[in-house]
Amino acid sequence: MRPDKRPTRRSLLRGAGTALALPFLDAMVPAFASVVSPTRMAFLYVPNGIVMDEWTPRTGTGVGEGAIPAELPRITSAIAPYRKELLFLSGLDCNGGNALGDGPGDHGRAGAAYLTATHPRKSAGKDVLAGTSVDQVVARKMQGVTRFASIELGCEEGVQGGNCDNGYSCTYSNTLAWKSPTTPLPPEVRPRAVFERLFGSLDLGSDPAQRRRQEMYEKSILDGVLEDANRLRTSLGGADQHKIDEYLTSVREIETRIQSVERGEGDVKYLVPSASVPSDFGEHSRLMLDLMVLAFQTDLTRVSTLLFSIEQSPRAYGAEAGIPEGHHGLTHHSGDKEKIEKVTRINSYHIQSLVYVLDKLKAIREGEGTLLDHSMIAYGSGISDGNLHDHSNLPLILAGGANGRLKGGRHIRYAKGTPMADLFVSMLDRMGVEGERFGDSQGKLDRLSI
Amino acid sequence: MPPPPLPGLKDADAVELVRFVDSFVPATAAGLDGPGRVTARRLNRAEYNNTIRDFLGVTTRPADQFPVDNQGYGFDNIGDVLTLSPMLMEKYMAAARSVSRIAVYGEGYEKKPGIIGKFMIKTVQDDGQVSGNVLPFSIRGTLEAVYHAPVEADYLFQFRMLNRRGRAPGVGRGRGVLTEAEKKAQLEASRNAAPPVDFQIDVDGRMVKKETVVGEEAFDYTRGPTVAKVHLTAGDHKIHVYIPDHANLDNPLANLNPDGRRRLGAEFMEVLGPYNPVVAKPPTYSNIFVCGGQDDACARQIVESLARRGFRRAPTQAEIERLLKLVAMVRKQGDSFEEGIRVALQSILVSPAFLFRMETDPVDATGSYRINDYELASRLSYFIWGSMPDETLLQLAAGKRLSDRTVLEAQVGRMLRDAKASNLVDSFAVQWLDIRALDRKKPDAAKFPNVDDELLGAMRKETLMFTSEIFREDRSLLDFIDGKFTYVNGPLARYYGIGGVDGFDFKRVSLEGTERGGIVSQASILALTSYATRTSPVIRGKWVLQTLLGAAPPPPPADVPALEETRPGNEASVRVRLEQHRANPACAACHQSMDPIGFGLENFDAAGAWRTHEGKFAVDSSGVLPDGQSFTGVSGLRKILRSQAPQFTRNLTEQMLTYALGRGVESYDRATVDKINKRVMANGNKLSSLVLAIVESEPFLMRMKEGKLNASR
Repeated sequence: MRPDKRPTRRSLLRGAGTALALPFLDAMVPAFASVVSPTRMAFLYVPNGIVMDEWTPRTGTGVGEGAIPAELPRITSAIAPYRKELLFLSGLDCNGGNALGDGPGDHGRAGAAYLTATHPRKSAGKDVLAGTSVDQVVARKMQGVTRFASIELGCEEGVQGGNCDNGYSCTYSNTLAWKSPTTPLPPEVRPRAVFERLFGSLDLGSDPAQRRRQEMYEKSILDGVLEDANRLRTSLGGADQHKIDEYLTSVREIETRIQSVERGEGDVKYLVPSASVPSDFGEHSRLMLDLMVLAFQTDLTRVSTLLFSIEQSPRAYGAEAGIPEGHHGLTHHSGDKEKIEKVTRINSYHIQSLVYVLDKLKAIREGEGTLLDHSMIAYGSGISDGNLHDHSNLPLILAGGANGRLKGGRHIRYAKGTPMADLFVSMLDRMGVEGERFGDSQGKLDRLSI
Repeated sequence: MPPPPLPGLKDADAVELVRFVDSFVPATAAGLDGPGRVTARRLNRAEYNNTIRDFLGVTTRPADQFPVDNQGYGFDNIGDVLTLSPMLMEKYMAAARSVSRIAVYGEGYEKKPGIIGKFMIKTVQDDGQVSGNVLPFSIRGTLEAVYHAPVEADYLFQFRMLNRRGRAPGVGRGRGVLTEAEKKAQLEASRNAAPPVDFQIDVDGRMVKKETVVGEEAFDYTRGPTVAKVHLTAGDHKIHVYIPDHANLDNPLANLNPDGRRRLGAEFMEVLGPYNPVVAKPPTYSNIFVCGGQDDACARQIVESLARRGFRRAPTQAEIERLLKLVAMVRKQGDSFEEGIRVALQSILVSPAFLFRMETDPVDATGSYRINDYELASRLSYFIWGSMPDETLLQLAAGKRLSDRTVLEAQVGRMLRDAKASNLVDSFAVQWLDIRALDRKKPDAAKFPNVDDELLGAMRKETLMFTSEIFREDRSLLDFIDGKFTYVNGPLARYYGIGGVDGFDFKRVSLEGTERGGIVSQASILALTSYATRTSPVIRGKWVLQTLLGAAPPPPPADVPALEETRPGNEASVRVRLEQHRANPACAACHQSMDPIGFGLENFDAAGAWRTHEGKFAVDSSGVLPDGQSFTGVSGLRKILRSQAPQFTRNLTEQMLTYALGRGVESYDRATVDKINKRVMANGNKLSSLVLAIVESEPFLMRMKEGKLNASR
């Protein structure tokens, strides 16, 4: 008997037929100790730029800040209910996305430069080179702290390999997270695969009792074939006996891996996602966000990226938003009003996913507040004007409280040319990673928490 | 300087010399030419897939997930090298779990339709970094894939067609703002610059959709995916998306833009489904549930029938009792009768008797003995079909009639006529000719830009269809040397300069009056015996000696420098530089036999295309063999090889015997090989006589008792 019956944070429970990590429950907090909930960080990325006129809150011009008004432009109006819990940041640049002498290829560069704050090497081959991304800098710190240092999610499978954008490898647009300057971490797009990675294989069924029975059957099967093999062994000669010995060793080894773990029932209920990938973008992104929130809630990880769609994505939002034309093609609108309208509608459609995840995070109580209070969720793109491939004055929303270290409700307008890497340094600081430099940063971003 | 050619031995002297040398070979000297002993063989990947297919009717190819099998003596079915690691055992367990489920309950599928498959196409030819379901690169923009449908249902295949045929000069897309008039002019110009082209989608060779790519510059961005709705039965289906006109492009590179990207073609394929699945007991169900009831007697009957097929012999009483205990245990836990049978089946699929082809010495055997009829049935079926014995073989074995000579002969004939005999091409011939090496050794994309994965696939297919005809039609095996026919499709025909063949489908053509003929002039073989950037007369010569004549020269001494890798065709031809290399007497002995053969093939470049010049040098395709015979070009080489026919068939005999037995051919097999070869030559050099002679040989029908083998060596 254990004297203290409080569950430990990472004790494994059974829920929805799989081992689920216990959420950060109040029960785990000793009554008299003050425990700070960990800060979680996520980057959500949309490609091909944004129609900025319909994005930016109208709070004046020039450097400074203003309260986010209740009336927001069309694209961002959906998040108005959360305006007190998020920041609009304007004037931030991703200089690494610019040509800097390398010619065309803005889409490829935008994806790779975004979280690395570097200028990726122009290469369509195997020698891709960018930088370690900001999420991975935190992930390195999380080794051994959480079960997964980070999770990389996506809603659109990238084109594999090769030249995607004027001499830039597809890897650059397929990947937000870079473990090292040469190691991209491509996102997983299948919800079932993410689920199984987080919570274990579903091969033996999804009902706990059924799984227990199946494991028992498999153990009996192995016992039985061991019996057969031992009997057979006696009737065989040298070389054949050696083959059977190999067999016996292998069977015994995997038998020890099937272990019955004592299980309780978890508090977290979660529907096991189907093995197919939904064709509806909304459904797909909601599943991925559910998994992200679940991983945050159970403290399996504190760091995540989600690539809603890849740079140059030709995805058509016909069923979802009534726009049958490909996204990227439309963004090169050459000033065509009709096309701009359609891009605006795609942008407005995407942002509903942000609203969805904020709803989820806010609904989960944790310690004194909600999961949203303990998170930093960045939403944006590496391109502002898609028609012009502009990498300056990027669209960016930073939502959540970061454990009291972000003060929302404001639209902050930074000086022209402020590197977005400054924001990353500030975010790293909030994730417990000290330092003044990241990529092309010049310092920390002020005003975030006043 | 290489030593000058010496006069050859007189025939009578040669025979005497061979006899003299033979007298030192212990087995021959002592008359101990016994049958040898084959080690228990684990099913290899191909055999596992085939066996699962024939045993249960499950076609999911589970072994594709297993690690690649080791090869020994050039084949991957050699008992001694087929090992079993815990990792493989775990995969066996998972495969048994999944296969037994599919067989009893049908393949699992998602009740809610969604994207269930995604196939990407490599975007450029030389792209090494690929993963997942990546399809070959095709300059012509073809997409070719096999899709395994989990259930009979409707499926949607979704494709994106690329159209990057450029824009009219002076009209740009993208950055900047255009006036209405400019936009209209841009559209009009791009339409004129790129005329409409049809593309087509075939499923299992049947057209399901045809659409037109219009000449609109923004086509690939603005139009949605092309969707084809198809009703599929459960199992594998071939999907082919292509532009029919592209099969007949004289220069396929016309479909590439300057940046290497395709102008027209399919980019990816998504499979959505299943819609309106047909809910029924899986067809595999009735194979298993051979009686209607759920009582103990029925369980016994089912388990006996499964064990008999799974173990490829009559199961023992102890085995049956053990399996029935599993069924009872499952039922006791409250699971269904079917689940009980499934668990028993899963157990059969991980049993040593299923995973290994085991032969046991009879207790009373001394020395060599005849293997029993069940063991013979398995040897036969895995040799000819690469799979388990069928019902006919099992019944003949049960009645101990299979070993009867007349019955055996009739069965071999029946098995060779069966479609499953194609395994001799797909498994034996592919390994004998080393065709798989084409995956690893493909021509350099920069130097041979028009040789894409699709053309390489066509080359491989040519060789397989050529081999298949020789085997299936029981033609003379010497056609491998000089058969004047082959199979080509439009792209390959153009590559060869053969007229009259259009389209992506293969047709048989006569090669009379052309330089090509026999296997040595097929592009597949020529490419896999070359370096990526240049030909290698040495490798080609060695391939001919080793693969066709079974006379591989020894490996080069360690201290010999390789041929300097400069740009061939610039300073001197490969031939001239090799001749310099041969000036070294240490090298000369072997190179004298290899190089001339390769010189005879110098009219074919490293990707198998015909050439008259190598760079600026005219090709010299003459050769002088060590015995002083001289010849010119591939036709001269064919004549020389033809004169070596007995050596060719002898080598083929040794190769096939190795494959059939699953062990190396040893010195004590000499008499057997001689005997088989004589029979083959006396019967018109046919596959049927080769296979039958192997089956009726001592090592195939018999086995040496444990311990006796070493004593005889």
